[in-house]
Amino acid sequence: MHIPENYLSPATCAVMGAAMIPVWVHAVKKVKEELPSEKIAMVGVGAAFSFLGMMFNVPLVGGTTGHAVGGTLIALLFGPNAACIAVSIALLLQAVLFGDGGVLAFGANCFNMAFVIPYVGYAVYKLVIRASGGEAKAKMGRRILGAAVGSYIGLNAAALCAAIEFGIQPLVAHDASGAALYCPYGLEVAIPAMMIPHLAVAGIVEAVFTVAIYTFVRRTSPDLTYLPGAAADANDLTGKADDVPKKSRIPVFALVAVLIAATPLGLLATGTAWGEWGADEIAEVVTDGSALGYTPAGLENGWELNAPMPDYSLEGMGEVTAYILSAVIGTALLVIIFKLFSLALTGKKRRAI
Amino acid sequence: MKLPEWMNTPDSYVPPGGSLFAVKTIRSLGRIMSDLRVQRGHEKARAVPALIKIPLLLAVIITVSAVQSRLVLLAFGAVLLGYLCIWPARDILSVVRPSAAAGLLAAVLLLPALIAGSTGPANSALFVAKVVLCVMSVSIFNHTTQWYHITAALRKLHVPGVFVFALDITLRYIVLLGRLICDLLTSLSLRSVGKARGRYGSVGGVMGVTFVRGAELNRETYEAMRCRGFTDDYSGL
Repeated sequence: MHIPENYLSPATCAVMGAAMIPVWVHAVKKVKEELPSEKIAMVGVGAAFSFLGMMFNVPLVGGTTGHAVGGTLIALLFGPNAACIAVSIALLLQAVLFGDGGVLAFGANCFNMAFVIPYVGYAVYKLVIRASGGEAKAKMGRRILGAAVGSYIGLNAAALCAAIEFGIQPLVAHDASGAALYCPYGLEVAIPAMMIPHLAVAGIVEAVFTVAIYTFVRRTSPDLTYLPGAAADANDLTGKADDVPKKSRIPVFALVAVLIAATPLGLLATGTAWGEWGADEIAEVVTDGSALGYTPAGLENGWELNAPMPDYSLEGMGEVTAYILSAVIGTALLVIIFKLFSLALTGKKRRAI
Repeated sequence: MKLPEWMNTPDSYVPPGGSLFAVKTIRSLGRIMSDLRVQRGHEKARAVPALIKIPLLLAVIITVSAVQSRLVLLAFGAVLLGYLCIWPARDILSVVRPSAAAGLLAAVLLLPALIAGSTGPANSALFVAKVVLCVMSVSIFNHTTQWYHITAALRKLHVPGVFVFALDITLRYIVLLGRLICDLLTSLSLRSVGKARGRYGSVGGVMGVTFVRGAELNRETYEAMRCRGFTDDYSGL
């Protein structure tokens, strides 16, 4: 579910990043309040745990394996606010260290995996627990059910968010001819393409992974799992457990409301795209239907249509500069290929010896 | 002395095939660990400080993603490749490999759209080029910057102390807990023949033990910090 670089337009990335800032501020504030100071380092442990969990190959039917995100699990073990920070850190490391998920798309990835999964998963888990008589009375079976349903729904909610982010790209970012500049698939393609594998496979992997670990921790060291309000008074769990989350959840709902309200603003911010879209709506429909619209326009015209102001002003010297740049790229590529080739050769020789 | 009958019959037991999930996980963990622990970077003694490199990297990525001009992208490509070609071969490989993989993935993903005609060939080429350029610049940054320089720079950029502290702890614990998981999985795969039953139980067991051990290590870390005069003030770190 890691969205790579450039699949989302910079405007979408900016909106998603801006949406995450209040979430992070809220999470950091809450973690400081909720967790006793000796547990703050636990956020780091949670991030390492989340990072390693994503590396873990969960066995599937027929000898294949899949990997889980584990956002709900982290929320169950460390609390949703700590999970938000922990998963964000894990995603940051993956983006910078392994190129898994884009740096610019970091906000969007965090929104899906560090915000939607832990909070949705944890909320569903709490609903199941509450239905079975509150934190103190709930039986182990109900907890497992809550963990399974929570992680399944959490992951699929995140996949839906990612699908919507992909799907709106052709609408918010396209050139004058209507050809998409970033992810070219609309909602009608993106939603089934994302949701079918997640509903059928990934959601189940996530639920199995979450239940397997949660059950183990719950059985072996139940005192380590997260209980809301545990920091305030460790002895007063039974009474407080149900009151505190009610209070602390109001800001989360407010946040969600603000985010929902702010998303269209982000769409409007890419004003030119929306303006253009209204004007050549019919042309776009025709092109989509018959695929005639820009094929005749071809390569050469395509470039002129894409190019904003700077390219026109550079037109005269553009050719020469492009040739020089191409020459530099060609030479550099040759040197790189030659070096890699010689590396492969010396590697073989060394192995032969 | 005569051996019993059952000892003379040849054993024809063949364990059921298929590779163990434990082996797969050990493999993927091992790759990560070697990347993290032996960050055999290309960083020189008088390198550009990370404090400058982080905003620079962000600026490069934003420009590459936002710009639609072929000329500007060519210029970026020329600069990046020109810089890369003066590196030693081994370092080049670790930058080229992820960039090529990302480019291929993007090209494959775009193929149906290109065939259906919802995006022009020019736009597709632009898209793939942008993906390659972004991944390449991130890889170059990662390869030339040590991790403790990045966390130090983040602190100077006024990222909250709790966040930087957690990031630092994370990097250490990935190595610590990763090694623990590797050990647990190795012992698990040594003790099982063929495909083990109750594999989900062992997934839970391995990660569960890791969690408990992590919590234990965390407590010890905190106690050690207290002993060295830590006063619950993360902003001063």
